[in-house]
Amino acid sequence: MKSVAFSYAPAHEIGDAQAALGHDGIKLVSGGQSLGPMLNLRLVRPSGLVDVSGVEALRQVVETDGAVRYGAAITHAEIEDGLVPDATGHWLRYAASRIAYRAVRNRGTLGGSLAHADPAADWVIVMTTLYATALVHRPGVGEVRIPMEDFVTGAFRTALGPQDVLAAIEVPRPGKTASWGYWKYTHQEGEFAKASAAVFVDSDTTRCRIAVGALGRQPVLLREPDSVISGAVSPSQALGDALPDMSAADLRLHAIALAKALEQRS
Amino acid sequence: MTVQTITLTVNGNSVAQAAEPRTHLADFLREDLLLTGTHLGCEQGVCGACTVFVDGRPSRACITLAASCQGAHVQTIEGFDDDPLMAKLRDAFKRHHGLQCGYCTPGMLATGYDIVRRLPDADTDRIRRELAGNICRCTGYAGIVEAISDVLGNTPPSANVQPQTRERTGAAGKADIALASSAPLPSESVVRDSEDANLPGMEAFANAPTLSRQLSIAAPLEDVWRILSTPNEIVACIPGAALDANPEKDLLQGTCVVAMGPIKAAFRGIARLTFEPASRSGHVVGRGRDSFTRSVLEGRLNFAVAEVSAHATELTLDMAYTLTGPLSQFSRPDLVAEIADDLLRQVAKGIETRAAGGVAAPASHSSLNGFSLVWRIVKRRVKRLFS
Repeated sequence: MKSVAFSYAPAHEIGDAQAALGHDGIKLVSGGQSLGPMLNLRLVRPSGLVDVSGVEALRQVVETDGAVRYGAAITHAEIEDGLVPDATGHWLRYAASRIAYRAVRNRGTLGGSLAHADPAADWVIVMTTLYATALVHRPGVGEVRIPMEDFVTGAFRTALGPQDVLAAIEVPRPGKTASWGYWKYTHQEGEFAKASAAVFVDSDTTRCRIAVGALGRQPVLLREPDSVISGAVSPSQALGDALPDMSAADLRLHAIALAKALEQRS
Repeated sequence: MTVQTITLTVNGNSVAQAAEPRTHLADFLREDLLLTGTHLGCEQGVCGACTVFVDGRPSRACITLAASCQGAHVQTIEGFDDDPLMAKLRDAFKRHHGLQCGYCTPGMLATGYDIVRRLPDADTDRIRRELAGNICRCTGYAGIVEAISDVLGNTPPSANVQPQTRERTGAAGKADIALASSAPLPSESVVRDSEDANLPGMEAFANAPTLSRQLSIAAPLEDVWRILSTPNEIVACIPGAALDANPEKDLLQGTCVVAMGPIKAAFRGIARLTFEPASRSGHVVGRGRDSFTRSVLEGRLNFAVAEVSAHATELTLDMAYTLTGPLSQFSRPDLVAEIADDLLRQVAKGIETRAAGGVAAPASHSSLNGFSLVWRIVKRRVKRLFS
C-alpha cells in the first residue's frame, strides 16, 4: 500500500520544526522507521512531514562531568557502534544493538523512538531506568527538562506540547559500582518486546530503579526495588502487587523478564 | 500535487528526478529509475527484500522516503556487478543453495555484504541474528547462513562500499517549511448495503483475543439499564458518538473512529444489539471496515448490570474481537486493552452524568488525554426486544 499524499520539507533548525508544527496535520520525522510503515499502511495520514534528521543541533553530543547529552537525531547504530560516547560504559551500546534490525538501526533515532513512545520500544524502558532526562524545546519558554518517567505518558503519548521538539536526551553517568540489567522477551529476534524489564542499582548515588515494560502503556517503576534486588520479594510477588489487573500469563512473562534482568545485572 | 526534484547519486551516477514527497526510495528506484533489482515484499519494513545501501549503510528502501535521500549515495544490487566482495557472495549463494525463487536475494546479499564487512568474527549464531530482519520463504536460511560463513571464513576481499557522511546542502532557508498544511483527507466511503448482511456468529470468536472489564457506575441500576438499553442514550455516552437517524430495528449502522497517538482509523459498519431485560443483560455483535487501511474489526460484547447499592451499579463487560488487515499489525492486545480502558472510563462518566439528568456531551477528538480516541457509532435501525 502507498502513503497518502503529503508535503515534505527538511528542517535546518529546531525553530523551523516548531514553526511547521503550528500548521494542521504536520508531523516531525527523523529516521522514519516507525512512521514509515504506519504511513505506508495509511494508519497515519499527515498533511506534511518535516524531516529533522539533518538539524545540526539535534546531532550534537555534549559530554559533561556528570552526564552525556545525546542529540535526538543520533541513530541507534551510532550508539551501537560506539561512534558517540556511552555515558554508562557499555549499557547503551548493548541496548541499541538489540533494537529491531541493523537496517532499521542505521536510520532510526534515539529521539524519534522516544517521541513515538511505543510502549514496547527499548529506549523507553532503558532510559527510564537510567534516570535520563528529556530536553525539550518549547516555543516561548526555551529548554524544558522532563524526567524520562514523566516524558512517556501512555501508549504513543508523551508530555510533548503541540509545538515542542525533543532536542536531546541527557543520561547521567552512573557511579563506578553501579550495575544494570535489561532483558526483553520477543517471539523473534528484532520484534517489539512482549515483556521487558530493566534493573539499575547505583550505590554511589543511592539511585535504584526497576522498570517493567511492554505493558501497552508507559513502563511501571516498582515502588520498592531494593526489596526485589535483595531477594526479600520475588519478581512475581512484586509484579503481582504493582500490576494487580494483569492476567496470570502476562504476569508470568513479565516476572521472567524481571528475573532475567536481575540475573543479567552487571 | 507538489513534486520535488531529488538529486542524488545512484550506483555512482548522478541522478536528478522529480518525485512526489510520499514516494519511498524503493518505488523511486523501481518505477522512476527502472532499477527493479530492489524488491518490494511487505512494504512495511519487515521483510528486508528492499534493503539497499544509503550512504553506505544498509537501509530499508520501503520505509525511506526518496525525498530524504537528497544528496545521498544510494547503491542498489545493480551497482555491485563489479564489486569483488559481492562477487564472492553471489558465488557462495549459488554454491550453497542460498536462493531459490530469488525474491529475497537482493536484500539478503545487501545484508550479507554488511555482515562480512562489519562483523569479521561473526559465527553462524551471529549471522542468523543479523539476518533476522530478512525473510526468506524458500531456503530455510541454512544455505544463506552457510554462504555468508563461507565468504567470512575465506579471507573476503575488502568492501568497496563503506559508510559515509552525507554533505548536507546548507541552509536553504525557512521558505522550505512553507508546507501545504491542509492536504485533504480522502473522504470516508459509504457502507455498501452488501455489508449489512452476514454478521459474524458468536462462534467466530472462539479463539479471538478477549477483554473483560468491570465498571463501577455511581448511579441506580434502573437508570443505568435504561441508558444501556436505549441506543440513542448509550451512544450519547460514547465519546464522539452520534446517531445518523433514529434506530428502527435491531441492526445498527455507523462509523467508529479510533485513534491512538499518530494512528487513526475510521471503521464503518454494522452491529446487532440484543437485550435480555429479565437478567438485565445483553449482547452486541458487529463488524466495521476502515476504508483508509482496509482493516476489518469484528467483535462481540456481552454485558450485564448488577445492583451494588441504591446508587451504585456494576457493569460487567466481556468482549472478544478480531482485527484483520494492516491495522492489526499495530494492535497488540495490550494496546487494545489500553484504548478500551480509556474509552470505558469516559463511557462510565457519561452514563453517570446522564443518569443524574445531565447531558453527557460526547467528548471531542482531543479529549482523551490529549489524543483523539473516539468511537462514533451511527445507528439506523434498532428493535427493542423488551418493550
